[in-house]
Amino acid sequence: MRMPAEGTLRRIIAFVAAVGIGVATYITIADSGGGAPTCLAGGGGCETVANSSYSHIAGVNVAVFGIIGYVLILATAFFASDAARFGGFALALGGFGFSVYLTYLEIFKIEAICQWCVASAVLMTILFLLNATRLIGYVGSDGATAPPEEADNDDTAAPEEAELQT
Amino acid sequence: MSNKKEREKRREERLAEEQKVSSSDNRRQRLLQMAAGAVFLVVVAVVVLVVANSSSSDSGGDSNIEEVGAVDSLFNGIPQEGLMLGKASAPVELIEFGDLQCPVCKEYSEEILPEVIENKVKSGEAKIDFRNFTIISEESVPAGAAAIAAGKQGRGWYFIELFYRNQGEERSGYVTDEFLTSIAKGAGVKDMAKWNKERKDPKTTKEVEATYAEAQKFGFNGTPSFAIQGPSTNGVELPGTLQTPGEFEEAIEEAS
Repeated sequence: MRMPAEGTLRRIIAFVAAVGIGVATYITIADSGGGAPTCLAGGGGCETVANSSYSHIAGVNVAVFGIIGYVLILATAFFASDAARFGGFALALGGFGFSVYLTYLEIFKIEAICQWCVASAVLMTILFLLNATRLIGYVGSDGATAPPEEADNDDTAAPEEAELQT
Repeated sequence: MSNKKEREKRREERLAEEQKVSSSDNRRQRLLQMAAGAVFLVVVAVVVLVVANSSSSDSGGDSNIEEVGAVDSLFNGIPQEGLMLGKASAPVELIEFGDLQCPVCKEYSEEILPEVIENKVKSGEAKIDFRNFTIISEESVPAGAAAIAAGKQGRGWYFIELFYRNQGEERSGYVTDEFLTSIAKGAGVKDMAKWNKERKDPKTTKEVEATYAEAQKFGFNGTPSFAIQGPSTNGVELPGTLQTPGEFEEAIEEAS
């Protein structure tokens, strides 16, 4: 299968991370007033999850950690360097692992599903897959040259970086 | 001569290019190995968290509250006032004298009362009033007071039911402030500061003591004990030992 261009991957990562920031921010704001996110499809799952003892770690809503993660992943999409590729992958991997754990808690411990948490878990899974593809396909390419077998896909050069940053 | 120089230059360029590719390959290899290591670490971390969570919850009485969803769906849509569950207009009142630390009350709460709630309380035929009869140990008093304080925010039965479902071993000292706070949060108590203030209020403790005295007046000496009153009873009557949902429903029908 042909490896997608790194610029395309970075644009999609930036878009998905931005949506993730929106979702995590909504959960944080809805919870901050002592309330809970509203489940759009009805049911009390969101309220149950928000009211559970698992919704906070050391007094901080887990969604806040989500916002931080998404912002950092978004930042890595703006740079075509190995540090950004590896950083984006490591962050998305951590976020994905955390989402797996939270989903386990929802299903087996809290016994309720919050659609907003599911949405965030799906976004984090997509980000993990995109960042893994980016890492495998382009790490070691130094931002200017793609790995030998992907040389024809190289579009990681500076002009595009400038375009993404504007 | 110029040909030789040109060959030399091309050779140097080729070598430089090869070195660059080789160092780039090495870096790629190293970073991919690090990525594989990171994947391994995250998998291990998730497995450890899941295992730690599943083993810590088996004994109950800890701050990892379980069955919040099940309790929510049991009481969903049923009005609550204080520690009274059901419509205020329900003709029959079933009074439960219970101790939150009592394992038999937990059994009733999980295995018998849900069916009664489904068939008789949701329909508006009966309401259930929980009253503290704190016979197990002193720890039952703050637990009962915490339930009353949750009841003042409309979450009394959520608190009671969630307490039972996360109950620890009686008199083991698990009824700590941390445990009660976790139950209150799981029960959906919104104003935790108000709940904290009210549960520690001496007036609330007096309420617990008052229902204890009331239970003694009825001659009860164990929990849970039940009393009932309705249009067909002569004030509050004692229905005797009720052990199945069918017996409860029959007693409610007789009292209505």
